Amino acid sequence: MHLTSIMMATSLIIIFLLLAFPVLTSFSPHPLPSNWALTQVKTAVKWAFFISILPLCLFLNEGAETIITSWTWMNTHTFDVNISLKFDIYSIIFTPVALYVTWSILEFASWYMHADPNMNRFFKYLLIFLIAMITLVTANNMFQLFIGWEGVGIMSFLLIGWWYGRADANTAALQAVIYNRVGDIGLIFAMAWIATSLNSWEMQQMFTLSKDFDLTYPLVGLILAATGKSAQFGLHPWLPSAMEGPTPVSALLHSSTMVVAGIFLLIRMSPMLENNHTALTICLCLGALTTLFTATCALTQNDIKKIVAFSTSSQLGLMMVTIGLNQPQLAFLHICTHAFFKAMLFLCSGSIIHSLNDEQDIRKMGGMHHLTPFTSSCLTIGSLALTGTPFLAGFFSKDAIIEALNTSYLNAWALFLTLLATSFAAVYSLRVIFFVSMGHPRFNPLSPINENNPTVINPIKRLAWGSIIAGLLITSNITPLKTPVMSMPLLLKTAALAVTIIGLLTALELASLTNKQYKPTPKLSPHHFSNMLGFFPMVVHRLAPKLNLVLGQTIASQTVDQTWLEKVGPKATATLNLPLITTTNNIQQGMIKTYLSLFFFTFSLALLLLLY
Amino acid sequence: MLKILLPTIMLVPTIWAVPAKYLWSTTLSYSLIISLISLTWLKSSAESGWSFLSPYMATDPLSTPLLALTCWLLPLMILASQNHTAPEPISRQRTYITLLTSLQIFLIMAFSATEVIMFYIMFEATLIPTLVIITRWGNQTERLNAGTYFLFYTLAGSLPLLVALLLLQNNTGTLSLLTLQYTPSMQLSSFADKLWWAGCLLAFLVKMPLYGAHLWLPKAHVEAPIAGSMVLAAVLLKLGGYGMMRMMIMLEPLTKELSYPFIIFALWGVIMTGSICLRQTDLKSLIAYSSVSHMGLVAAGILIQTSWGFTGALILMIAHGLTSSALFCLANTNYERTHSRTMILARGLQMVLPLMTAWWFIASLANLALPPLPNLMGELMIITSLFHWSWWTIALTGGGTLITAGYSLYMFLMTQRGPLPAHIISLDPTHSREHLLMALHLLPLILLISKPELIWGWTA
Repeated sequence: MHLTSIMMATSLIIIFLLLAFPVLTSFSPHPLPSNWALTQVKTAVKWAFFISILPLCLFLNEGAETIITSWTWMNTHTFDVNISLKFDIYSIIFTPVALYVTWSILEFASWYMHADPNMNRFFKYLLIFLIAMITLVTANNMFQLFIGWEGVGIMSFLLIGWWYGRADANTAALQAVIYNRVGDIGLIFAMAWIATSLNSWEMQQMFTLSKDFDLTYPLVGLILAATGKSAQFGLHPWLPSAMEGPTPVSALLHSSTMVVAGIFLLIRMSPMLENNHTALTICLCLGALTTLFTATCALTQNDIKKIVAFSTSSQLGLMMVTIGLNQPQLAFLHICTHAFFKAMLFLCSGSIIHSLNDEQDIRKMGGMHHLTPFTSSCLTIGSLALTGTPFLAGFFSKDAIIEALNTSYLNAWALFLTLLATSFAAVYSLRVIFFVSMGHPRFNPLSPINENNPTVINPIKRLAWGSIIAGLLITSNITPLKTPVMSMPLLLKTAALAVTIIGLLTALELASLTNKQYKPTPKLSPHHFSNMLGFFPMVVHRLAPKLNLVLGQTIASQTVDQTWLEKVGPKATATLNLPLITTTNNIQQGMIKTYLSLFFFTFSLALLLLLY
Repeated sequence: MLKILLPTIMLVPTIWAVPAKYLWSTTLSYSLIISLISLTWLKSSAESGWSFLSPYMATDPLSTPLLALTCWLLPLMILASQNHTAPEPISRQRTYITLLTSLQIFLIMAFSATEVIMFYIMFEATLIPTLVIITRWGNQTERLNAGTYFLFYTLAGSLPLLVALLLLQNNTGTLSLLTLQYTPSMQLSSFADKLWWAGCLLAFLVKMPLYGAHLWLPKAHVEAPIAGSMVLAAVLLKLGGYGMMRMMIMLEPLTKELSYPFIIFALWGVIMTGSICLRQTDLKSLIAYSSVSHMGLVAAGILIQTSWGFTGALILMIAHGLTSSALFCLANTNYERTHSRTMILARGLQMVLPLMTAWWFIASLANLALPPLPNLMGELMIITSLFHWSWWTIALTGGGTLITAGYSLYMFLMTQRGPLPAHIISLDPTHSREHLLMALHLLPLILLISKPELIWGWTA
């Protein structure tokens, strides 16, 4: 084996071992020391990050990719399921990013959750979640990917429902799992199709063998899976609801790792996707719809975490659009840059929420720039990066995506929706900063505001550096797999920036209107549409469960099981036999008339027989 | 074969001879030793086909996992029953363990029989101890009704089987499983042949139970004591699946079309019983209906008759056996503390029994088939083979997985999460016995992840 690939394989296995070690040792019957979370979990993730730089450097230097197949798990006739890990451009770049972000989030969580008696368990869940995510990313076959896929789903159930005494947290956790399960049906469908048609779940074999097939149906299954996991339109409501979890959970699960799993699946499957125009168009339109719809919802939310969550959903829609443009690498780039600034936005909002005594409503904030200068500066940096301000992280991916969209000949409708959503990003980002950092304080005067804690400052600082330079670092180091269009008219080139600035100016104008004595009759229905999340949860969350529960109770249980099946089964046996029984019974009641008539009857019969 | 059967039979005199003080510990360790020895069957030297042959009994890859499961379950039943029989006089305790042991004897003979008629007799014989367990040891008066349902549903299904088997004996001259598959395939064309086909399978479909013939199962589960529920869910239902797989070989040409309505019925049952689970207020009834739902999938996997279908069905049977038995044990730990099966009366138990919550969580995850647990391998294989037959099945199976996830987590959230209701003033802490019981259920399940070919059956 070549030295490079040995080094890569070894370091990647070391990463897995490092991460798994605290989980395994935590099963020892001795109670964990109270600082276990910091000394073991955070350190493990930190070291895993440093080690993951080595394969990254090797990859950047030599372009080395490797696949480790260690063990044949199952083998039925000709169908193999192996444990095999794939370290290609995507997993090698994603792993350090995920580890870096998680490291910061864990450090922040040690401050945010310091009063929680089960902090060690919380860290353990986060760590298992991270392991599941890395399993998903490095999986080289569908079964392994499915393990990681469901692993992140179930860990998100535990983490969203962390405060399990609250009914809201429990419903949000259940909601996340159920929406993801709907997506899983798609994944199972795709896996069943692949198993029956291609007879292999190994990725390379799938890609090679699928050349001659019409892949529309399995790809629709995969897109459904991605829709569930990445909260695309139709299956999106779980993502904002998931903000019921603690803020570090939101930062980890719902910004940089779990929700991008769906997009990542499609990136992995891009060799199958790239030749199927139906599937690409579905991705494009679905993504465009998602990005606009969720950006619209973000415009009028008042919960700071909900706004950030909806912006995540909107960015996920943008990634889906990129998949639809057949630019998986750009989508991947956006996953990486997005991870930094979105995690930072969540940490900043967590810090602010904590400082204001668990207040999440942005209307009750304000003036934080004077009180928590560092956090609110970073909030601003993050928002700028999110809106695609030049040379921050978001710019390199977002601008490239919109350029690719502008120069493609695909779908003007999708282009329009995406551009509109881009301008909305500026609006809701401004709204957060306007309400949180600017203006005068509107909160309780006795808030325990203190951001001067290294476990708050350091993680946010690290992520802020990431948000500033990550885009540049990544784009200047990886080679694009597809040639980007380099020359285009000025209008197209500056479209992304222009719509963002227009959005910003409009929002500023709207904001300044609030200070003026200008009283039009407000038109509330667009506001209600946005504020009530497009009435989507109202309809879907009532109708679908109601139908199913009515089916369960009225039809399945009462009508069929308790009435009809009883009636035609056991009860029918009884009722059919009863007349016979009662008749024979009644005959033998000692009635002299019956006996005499029977006797007379048989006697006359016998007489007749004798005579003739 | 006798290495297991004789010790199991000798367990009966042991139960009656051992001093009262050591009754439970002796029987537990004795049965555990038996079950450990039975694991040697899993390492069969024969490449394929039969091993451990004796004149009447043998094991093959299909029966071995079920045999091991049967043997594994006796110590668990003993472990689970210890608490609720404690107030009984010692002779009744001995009788109870004897009953459980006799059930194991019959089950071992049923699964290892090489003669179909012996399998049939043992299949019927298991009814007797089970009936006694339900109607003598259940708690409510409804147990008598449950016993009647249990007995008559099963009998009504299995008497046609006897006639069908006698016919088969007349036609082929043998009922030995060793040779039966080599007999020339019969020309089955008339209407009577179709009835014969139905007769061969009806007993097992009722036992599985197929949706429509399932009424006895929730009743029996709800009314039976814990050991009864465990063995019913873990092993007795699997007799149906096992019998179906055995009979399928002989029914070859007819099954192709005749099985279609049954497959659809089974899959439709997955949805319907799953929906019923979503509305259950009774914990044991919920678990019982979830068994019907899972066994519907097994039935469909067997009826589809592909090697993946059989493999998936066997994997799911073993995995479901351990999972549902574990869930019944968990329900029983609640029942022994609150004396109620109603879910709403025992909520928020994570506050008081935190380690139990971990077991609940793992068991619920196993029930909703989390990868890479064997439950998922089984379901995935069945879903794939059904999908190969018809694409539309994915709507039913996929909907089934969604509903399964829904009610499993509903059960978990309902019992473990949320605030503790005010009426729960004091609960016994959990016993090590209960944790051991759960560990012995779930560890095999987790360990099977790494070597699923043990429970693969013929495909291995």
